[in-house]
Amino acid sequence: MNELALALGAAVDRTPDGKFLLTLQFAKPGEFAAGAPEGGKGKVSAPVWVVSATGKTIFEAERNLAMQVSRHIYWGHLIVLIIGEKAARHGVREVVSLFLRSPQPRETMWVMVTEGEAKNLLMSQPGLEKSSAQAIGFLARSKAGYSVELKDFAAMLASKGGEPIASRLGSLKMVTTPSLGQKTPVEEVRITGVAAFKDDKLTGWLDPSETRGLLWLKGEVGKGVVTVPCPGKPEKQLSLEIIRATTKVIPEYRNNKVSFTVRLMLEGDLEEEQCDENLTKPETIKAIEKELRKDVKQKAELALSKAQGEFKADIFGFGEAFHRAHKREWRMLRDNWNEEFARAEVRISVKAYLRRTGLLTKPATLRE
Amino acid sequence: MLEGGKIDSKQAIFLLTTMVLATAILFVPAIIAHHAKQDAWISAILATLGGLVIARLQVTLGLRFPGMTLFQYLEVILGKVLGKAVGFLYLWWFFHMNAEVLREFGSFLVAAFMPDTPIIVFIIIIAIISAYAVRSGLEVFTRVNQIILPLILLSLLVLFALATKEMRIIRLLPLLDTGVVPIIKGAITPLSWFGEMATFLMIIPYLNKPQEAPRIANTAILISGTFFLITVLGVLAIFGPALSARWMFPTLNGARMIHLANFLERLEAVIMVIWVFGAFVKISVFYYAGVLGSAQVLGLKDFRPLVLLIGVIVVALSILLHPNILDLARMLGQVWPPYALSTFEVGLPLILLAISLIRGKGGQQQ
Repeated sequence: MNELALALGAAVDRTPDGKFLLTLQFAKPGEFAAGAPEGGKGKVSAPVWVVSATGKTIFEAERNLAMQVSRHIYWGHLIVLIIGEKAARHGVREVVSLFLRSPQPRETMWVMVTEGEAKNLLMSQPGLEKSSAQAIGFLARSKAGYSVELKDFAAMLASKGGEPIASRLGSLKMVTTPSLGQKTPVEEVRITGVAAFKDDKLTGWLDPSETRGLLWLKGEVGKGVVTVPCPGKPEKQLSLEIIRATTKVIPEYRNNKVSFTVRLMLEGDLEEEQCDENLTKPETIKAIEKELRKDVKQKAELALSKAQGEFKADIFGFGEAFHRAHKREWRMLRDNWNEEFARAEVRISVKAYLRRTGLLTKPATLRE
Repeated sequence: MLEGGKIDSKQAIFLLTTMVLATAILFVPAIIAHHAKQDAWISAILATLGGLVIARLQVTLGLRFPGMTLFQYLEVILGKVLGKAVGFLYLWWFFHMNAEVLREFGSFLVAAFMPDTPIIVFIIIIAIISAYAVRSGLEVFTRVNQIILPLILLSLLVLFALATKEMRIIRLLPLLDTGVVPIIKGAITPLSWFGEMATFLMIIPYLNKPQEAPRIANTAILISGTFFLITVLGVLAIFGPALSARWMFPTLNGARMIHLANFLERLEAVIMVIWVFGAFVKISVFYYAGVLGSAQVLGLKDFRPLVLLIGVIVVALSILLHPNILDLARMLGQVWPPYALSTFEVGLPLILLAISLIRGKGGQQQ
């Protein structure tokens, strides 16, 4: 332990002169074990240490970086690989290959892309976790947005039937609270959507609500919240938690035209309502389900139009679905799949069910 | 009698299963996935079925000459001079195959775990241990294997069960995407692994019930085929065909995928344990076949003096064979299967059987 420098996060950027800038965040085991330093007790030292170096290849940058690190760099605990926007637009194939080729880094680390410099995110100091790399790791595991592991990213890169995507990462400056012993502003990392690639190059961004649509079309919704206007009272809202969601993509090939039918289904429980609505009435439930269908469909179409129109990139993996259903036709289409995808007609149908309303039937505080 | 020991049928099944499975699970899945893509598991089944046929051929040959090993009846079938000449070819094959396995053994450990250690260190260590096992005789390493094989199979099952969370059956679709030819191409490499069953011809005379040899060979092939199939299915369902074919050791990466409840992870150590134990048994079997065969071809009364000598030859050969790991992978994926199948695994046994039938050599007493 005393001879190893444990890297928690790696950031890859591109410098203006075409070199790679590699930044590593190292854990300081002593500070980690000591727990959070309490306010006013003197020694306040960050539990991590961030170092950068440049090189013509990432590995060369790592060797240059090692000259500043007194210990042997250990990659086995790497939690996240963050790629800066410039490096991502330039192409990420060699970055991904490097981290898979080397036996130390895990294939299960998260891959994220950030607008601007990736280095800055490793420098940020979160409030709850000891290092930003850990904070990112926990965020990714909580599935806030679309989290991609290195091996999944590599599989998407290697497949002709779908373009890669990765989480989009941003940061947020929080205010300082001197009463809690904070001296410097805490900077929090946060997941702000999805980065869409075409082949191995970054092509654009999806915001959080487009990301919801992407999750729907990829069949990765899992859990989440849907907020829709109250039936009959558009200024008030109600929120449902998704308990179960399924996505079924049915590819069709007729008259030399590719089309998809996407069937979405969700079951939700009511969590919060501002409507003062009597939910015991069947027609109210029906009306809420209608609003749900509208909302899901609209988000899915938002993501779809961006992928088909702006990116012309199949970020949903529809190509894989087409391949599974029509293997012969796929052989003709696979080499210009993105153009076929952009032309394809996609019909989205949604079924939504409100199953439970928690422990209440009507709002408890309602005066009758 | 050069070898005084006897092993029973169950021990023989265990020995042959480890011999085939030990290296197949690590090096072969990527090679099949390269050819057959998501249909690699069909290749695995085909290879197992083909393995049953090959083993049938080899055992039929072996049973015609009760109490004799391959090298002894070579001289009966072909006459003294030609028999010895073919015997030397077979010896070369056993040495060569063992050198390849030693190289595989070292390559994996260096590539995946200890990049700074020279490969010869691992090769010499395992060769010394195997030399000791071979010197002690067939019974000894057969019994060691009785402990090792259940551990290997159990570990493989546990790894598979823990990795199911990462698997998606949908990655195996569409069926028969690339057509039949790539599936057959994909089956050839694992088939040559099952063809290593030719080594059984050196062991049949030391079974306490030689008449059970066909059942032993079939059971060993079915067990190793099943576990090989499980491995291939697991790898494909975790990574999909494209990535499976790109890894050097997809099974290792599959084990690395396991992470449960944030504490049960980094299980590739289990793969290393399987590898070291399995390779030890495999190397010992080939080593033993080479040493015993040499003693018989040279007409010696004892094989022990040859152990060290042949060990040195095989270790040196393992270093000289390949300049790098890619050359080794090319050998295993492209050169070795057609070479081994067409000559020592199927070709020669077929010719020998034909000649012995025509010349009426060998008895039918079984």
